[in-house]
Amino acid sequence: MKYKVAKRLDLHGVPCPMNFVKTKVALFGLECGDLLEVILDEGEAIINVPRSLKDEGHKIIKVEKLEETFRVIVEHG
Amino acid sequence: MAKQGVDNAEMKKIGMIQQKQKEYFALRLRVVGGDLNPDQFRKVAEIAEIYGDGNIHITTRQGIEIHNVYYTKLEKAKDELQTVGIRMGACGPRVRIVVACPGDKTCRWGSIETKGMAARIDEKYFGSETPHKFKFSVTGCPHNCAKASENDIGIMGGILPKWQEEGCIDCNLCVNICPTQAISCENGRYCLDEQKCINCSICTASCPTNSWEIEKKGYIVLIGGTMGKIPRLASRLTGIVENQDDLMRYIDAAFSYYKQHGRKKERFGHMIDRIGLEKTKGDILNEI
Repeated sequence: MKYKVAKRLDLHGVPCPMNFVKTKVALFGLECGDLLEVILDEGEAIINVPRSLKDEGHKIIKVEKLEETFRVIVEHG
Repeated sequence: MAKQGVDNAEMKKIGMIQQKQKEYFALRLRVVGGDLNPDQFRKVAEIAEIYGDGNIHITTRQGIEIHNVYYTKLEKAKDELQTVGIRMGACGPRVRIVVACPGDKTCRWGSIETKGMAARIDEKYFGSETPHKFKFSVTGCPHNCAKASENDIGIMGGILPKWQEEGCIDCNLCVNICPTQAISCENGRYCLDEQKCINCSICTASCPTNSWEIEKKGYIVLIGGTMGKIPRLASRLTGIVENQDDLMRYIDAAFSYYKQHGRKKERFGHMIDRIGLEKTKGDILNEI
């Protein structure tokens, strides 16, 4: 995946809802249109966090499956 | 024995269940979908204090039981509960109180309104005599919080998603979050396997561009679920039924079929296993 990301965040092992809170905090420091790369766990994390980000007006651009995690590119809304 | 002449089978019909302490009874209340208003809660507390031993038991089916009521006080307790609109529940071979989750009124996943639906089922079927006990549940979506698949008839809300190419940014989120891997992608085109789809709405709720749309929304009818000594999860009788009156026709056909073919003390699901699922489904659907 070739994206110009402004920030990276590894949330492997961080449970819900703290993974969402940390993502939100990371996005807080970014500008509209900036990209954030987040590593999220499979299971609850990958189901809940992207949906909550959508509720907050942000946009998932790409999701890539790694081993037990996902690399998620989020665009600040 | 002080309480000679009490017919326990008759008592069970009106939710009065004899305890092992034979002169004492448990009062089972008709709580639909686990909802009571504050006046009713206050009255339950009052009755438990005056006529029981002060303990109030929450049942596994969202109901309430007041235990340790002496047999001479049963009628009085029942009459007082009725003053706030609380009716008696049921025990024995008949339709029990209807369970329901909060549904789409408050839950973000709810695909259907559940409480009104539960009330409609309760109004029509509660207390009806059946070959064995009979339990209904209404659950708002396939997360299945109200355990529709553990009930003789379970109603489950659900949606059928549809992919729209327009607007899709090929992010691949849906493929990765679908709990049954029902979504696949080839060359940027997304495809749904309807056989695998459990109608849960996770894809439509999460899609960042709303390229997964709700094509159909409604009720799925499950039949033959039970826990107990021989557990059996319910089987799907229908796909998504959009109209509530149509739904009632499916329920009625399934219920009547069980009443007609179920043997005494045989649960709906065990009757299905005896007759065969495909035959049972075919026979029920033929009645619609």
